[in-house]
Amino acid sequence: MRNKRTPLLTGFGIVAATALLAGCSAPAASGGSDPEGAVDGSIRFQTWSLTPTYQEYLDEAIAAFEDEYPDASVELVDQPGDGYSEKVLSQASTDTLPDVVNVPPDFALPLAQQGILYDVSQATDMESTYFEGSVDAYRFDGVEGVYGYPWYLGTDVNYWNATQLDDCGLDSANPPATTDELFEQAAIMADNCPENYLISRAPGLGDFTLEDIDILNEDGSEFVFNTPEAAAIIDRYAEAYANGEMPPTVLNADYLGNSQLFTEGKVAWSTGGATAIDSFEENNPSLKGNIVISPALNISPLYVQGLSVSAGSENLSTALAFAEFMTNADNQNDFAHIANVFPSTQGSDEDPYFSEEDGTPSSEARVTGFESLQTAEVLTPYSVNGAMNDYLGQQIALAIRGDISGQEALDTSVEKLNDLLARQ
Amino acid sequence: MTITETPAGGTAPPAGRPRPNRAPNRRGPARATRRRTPWLLLAPALLWLFVFSIWPSLNTVRMAFTNAKPLGGTERFVGFDNFGYILEDDQVANALLNSVVFMLVCLPLLTILPLLIALLVEKKLPGITFFRTAFYTPVIASAVVVALIWTFMLDDRGLVNGLAQELSIIQGPLPFLTDRWLIVLSAVSLTVWKGLGYYMIIYLAALGNVSKDLHEAAAMDGAGAIRRFLSVTLPAVRGAMLLIAVLVCIAALRVFSEVFIMTGGTGGAGGEALTMVMLIQQYSRGFAGDLGYASALSILMFFVTLVPMLILARINSRSDR
Repeated sequence: MRNKRTPLLTGFGIVAATALLAGCSAPAASGGSDPEGAVDGSIRFQTWSLTPTYQEYLDEAIAAFEDEYPDASVELVDQPGDGYSEKVLSQASTDTLPDVVNVPPDFALPLAQQGILYDVSQATDMESTYFEGSVDAYRFDGVEGVYGYPWYLGTDVNYWNATQLDDCGLDSANPPATTDELFEQAAIMADNCPENYLISRAPGLGDFTLEDIDILNEDGSEFVFNTPEAAAIIDRYAEAYANGEMPPTVLNADYLGNSQLFTEGKVAWSTGGATAIDSFEENNPSLKGNIVISPALNISPLYVQGLSVSAGSENLSTALAFAEFMTNADNQNDFAHIANVFPSTQGSDEDPYFSEEDGTPSSEARVTGFESLQTAEVLTPYSVNGAMNDYLGQQIALAIRGDISGQEALDTSVEKLNDLLARQ
Repeated sequence: MTITETPAGGTAPPAGRPRPNRAPNRRGPARATRRRTPWLLLAPALLWLFVFSIWPSLNTVRMAFTNAKPLGGTERFVGFDNFGYILEDDQVANALLNSVVFMLVCLPLLTILPLLIALLVEKKLPGITFFRTAFYTPVIASAVVVALIWTFMLDDRGLVNGLAQELSIIQGPLPFLTDRWLIVLSAVSLTVWKGLGYYMIIYLAALGNVSKDLHEAAAMDGAGAIRRFLSVTLPAVRGAMLLIAVLVCIAALRVFSEVFIMTGGTGGAGGEALTMVMLIQQYSRGFAGDLGYASALSILMFFVTLVPMLILARINSRSDR
């Protein structure tokens, strides 16, 4: 007798097999249109946590673009700060990436490698418009072209809690300017005020770059940072930890741990962008007028934000025109004035707004940051992913706690990170 | 031939003989509707089950044998490579041990303590509702919020260390958030505190079905409170206890948010307090996530979760015999 369940099971099997095979397909930028066509039609523009603070600026810029190109319309979509990489990832893997999207270079790299972003250097002469360093941030090994218009730049400056420094035998008018001075003053602070800390961060790849230690070999195929010099940096932190110069939570600190402890008044030093001072003072009013600002120790880190264009955009010419419009010198300068960030366009550095203080702490942070930007560098290679950073952080924490030596931590990390790199 | 009268007045086929097939008649569409109705009613649930449970599970198995990446690209079949890498990865053994220890400590605590609390709050006393509510309140709180509060309390300058030092119980702060086993212990404490109320409710429902007559009979036979608990109450709630044990095992092996928040997502120094789910998250997240390897870890996790369930099922079937 024929089993009546067979059709049902067969149907189920077909659906399951189809669904599984569908899962095999790679996301590829579908569609795409003429990059030199008319600037018309509607596009979506995705920003990263800019509204409601900068809603007015964005609306005005979009309106100005639509005035210039009456047949074009732009829909603004702002995504929350948390989980942005997951959001972009899911959009890219489901072929729903907005036409123009704000992504930093480390997000743009994997998207460019998969052909999801458009090479904007085909449409714009990048070098004559933007700073060379900011354009280079969107050039990637193994992929020809430039995969984003540099939008704005950022760097870190140092923030010091003046009261804690002065109360603990240090001089808030002369905070540490180098790593050596930092450790010397951390020891003085620990002696005078065992309850307070100066250092609350563990070292990472950026610290090795600052000391001219290569992170990757020349062709980027292997990690090579397990040098005695890098081990010495970790051992120095381990010694400071053993002497009670750092809080125990430094072993668990994530990226924001340092600034959170500073905001809570638990540590006397933090790094942050030029806008961080507003956040410190807003979240802890007792810090108002009590923060000293100085340039980053040694070399400042360079952070780049840019606007990339989806290769699958149905209105590619409009998307390119809009991304270029948003990142032109006038719009970048306007945005930099209200957001305390720095423009990436040629000639913007002549604007006195970035080089002259107006007496407010905010302007002091801006001028300090802008001066630091002239020598700032990208400290961590964009090919270093989250799992790699996690593993390195875990090994460094072991070394700081004294369970293993700095060299052992680095050797183990390099072996594991090379493994992870090979599996990419 | 005997004709059997049916209550409805119709005729029934003779006993022992097969019921003859009814020829298609005018009642066909009604029968077809009757046959389809259950499937139509089940369809939304089946669709949900397929989309959100069966398909992802099958896809996980498929991906475990590939080098799948979040953005696709050159995905290819890699055989058992991902499973081979599990054997080489020292983080897996570490995470597995943490997850199993977490489960082994949680299991007795969350199986026995809620029963004792249920026995206390089951009594009809004035104001007992307040205590029932108080025990249940942690259940409705967000795991993330609770973990953050506990993190503040267990910090080296937090409430617990401060109080213990104030009372001279300890000289220096205990590293609740940086020592491997203290992290696990802290996470267990949080989980037990948060889970007590939930399992207490299940026990309360089970206790409501325990016959009072049995208790009275046992008391008349001279059984004391402990004897009655062991011989009357415990056998009566055995089913609920096994259910809770299974639920606790599954939940404990999947522990994530408690340890994640308490260690700032790092899993502690050297990642030595990582749990299996944290490890899976660590490998699968981001643009360069290794979905193939994370899927292989998920499959390993599935089989690890099966072990305590099979053991408990075995205990249950033995008890039934």
